Amino acid sequence: MRPIRNRFAKLLIYLGLAVYVVSTAMPFVWTLLQSLKTVRDANSAVPLFIFEPTLESYAKLWLLETPENLSLILFGILVASLTVFFLAIFLSRHGAPQFIVVGVVVGGFALILWTIPQLMKMADWYDFFTNTVIITTCAVTISISLSATAGYAIARKRGVSGAILLVVALGLGSLPPMAFAMPYYQLSAMLQIQDSFILVIAVMVGLQQPFSIWMLRGFFMEIPRDIDESAMIDGASRLRAFWSVVMPISWPGVVAVAILNVLGVYHNFLIIRVLTILRWTLAVGITKYVGSIYAATDTVPFAAAVSASLPLLILVFFFQDQLVKGLGAGAVKG
Amino acid sequence: MKNREFAAFVAPSMLALVVFTIIPLVVAFGLSFESYDYWTLDARVFVGFRNYVDILTDSRFWDAFRFTLLIMAAVTPTEIFMGSVVALLLDQISKRVRGIFVALALTTYVSVPVVASYMFRGLFYTGGLGNWLFALLTGQNLFLDETSVKIILIIYQLWRDTPFVILVVFAGLQSLPDELLDQAAIDGANRLVQLRYVAIPHLAPLLVLVAMTILGALYNIFDPIFVITGMNPSYHADSIMAYNWRTATQFGQLGKANAMALLITIGSILLRFPFLYSTWRSQVEER
Repeated sequence: MRPIRNRFAKLLIYLGLAVYVVSTAMPFVWTLLQSLKTVRDANSAVPLFIFEPTLESYAKLWLLETPENLSLILFGILVASLTVFFLAIFLSRHGAPQFIVVGVVVGGFALILWTIPQLMKMADWYDFFTNTVIITTCAVTISISLSATAGYAIARKRGVSGAILLVVALGLGSLPPMAFAMPYYQLSAMLQIQDSFILVIAVMVGLQQPFSIWMLRGFFMEIPRDIDESAMIDGASRLRAFWSVVMPISWPGVVAVAILNVLGVYHNFLIIRVLTILRWTLAVGITKYVGSIYAATDTVPFAAAVSASLPLLILVFFFQDQLVKGLGAGAVKG
Repeated sequence: MKNREFAAFVAPSMLALVVFTIIPLVVAFGLSFESYDYWTLDARVFVGFRNYVDILTDSRFWDAFRFTLLIMAAVTPTEIFMGSVVALLLDQISKRVRGIFVALALTTYVSVPVVASYMFRGLFYTGGLGNWLFALLTGQNLFLDETSVKIILIIYQLWRDTPFVILVVFAGLQSLPDELLDQAAIDGANRLVQLRYVAIPHLAPLLVLVAMTILGALYNIFDPIFVITGMNPSYHADSIMAYNWRTATQFGQLGKANAMALLITIGSILLRFPFLYSTWRSQVEER
């Protein structure tokens, strides 16, 4: 719509948006503030907005005991992460093959995550964090590889066979989580694979398939058939045409779907909770900090809430455009 | 695409689907005819349709069903209305400031539901901002009881999901051609008329999709109930998914819980039916 010029109306618009911002941001801001308070400040009868911030609750959440040279270790972690990050950028600028760049990033960060508990005693929360990283990375990588090929095939296939697969997949994708959780619980007990990464990753891959196939099919349908068909006339096989011609121009769409996949795995609570005994992810792990062990008055749950949200906020920061595009495409294409 | 290529391309994905969604469903179907203990995974007895009869005559199941419908009916239209209004407002302001609002909406959209529920719950602990505001406005202390917990749940849901509507409707508004509005303006249509006869018809298909997405998600609502009520049965605030969980893990009736999950599935498919149908049409006809 064309912008309104009337001054008074403009004022009302900003007033309305201010109400939206305050009401939406309040729970986040409050959680952040509570997490930075001492237990005493957090429980004061009148909500405190001005107080002396402390990182005590975060230390309690992440560390079993605070080492003397904590700041040195944190600085080392920061330097190591930046080194990996810039090394990857340097390599890709200088034409290193993609798998080497990916290998450097994955290997580098895996090494860092492995080193941290060797340097200081970490609490359970750190395990939840590494579990989340492992499960999300593996599940999303596998899920996207499977659904990209399937989505491409369905986008290029005329007629009923593709439609049947798509509709059956989407029908299965809309089932309630409990319909999966209980049979998985039963099957994993039968097969003696309870609480294993493989089980959780495999289940997450299966659950992400329907929606990913459907979204990727939408993106691939926008790419003209002539592009892959002309590559095939030049002698490329279908797989080669898909991988070397179609995929390179489809990355924005694939990344958008990958991010929605990350959210799907990261947000999952019910199924991971039923399937795991110890290998909890952050979304499940946070339930540990509220209830019997920690009183409702403690600040650790707030620190846990902030810590669990941060990785996703970083993701949004880097991939804001793809996320908006993915959301829009998911709703618009129907 | 040739049939053989097609089969090779879809095979890995379909294998994952069959193994991880169809097999569990078959298992669930089998278990739904048995009486079965959750903790020991033992004491299996074939009971025929008794689980299904049990559920359909279980008043707590119907209470949960009614509460789920209440949430769906209360939240969906409110969210769509509020989200559309904010999206229209966002459309009016300059691009430079807009980024902040979009970032805030995205922050809420990506927040983990369980974690977001804890954040919301945190407002109502002692010393919480929500408690304090409530006392300030009404002069009474806020006690969590059957009614207030349900209201908190609904407000939580509005807070968590309205940003999704904002983002989608805002994206839809960007594709609304200005020429159409200008023509309407030349014909003497004021802004409300433009909104009613140009913008809303343009957004209508999108709003229907958004409504269906929200309804589908609310039908399976579980995480906020688990966190905000702490699964305390005295609040009588179970959704069907929460009652299903309770049946399995607290009552230990795995067979009955499986039967319930399958009954819930029927509703889930019915809810998604328009979407499935339109996908079918687009896949069969478009090419």
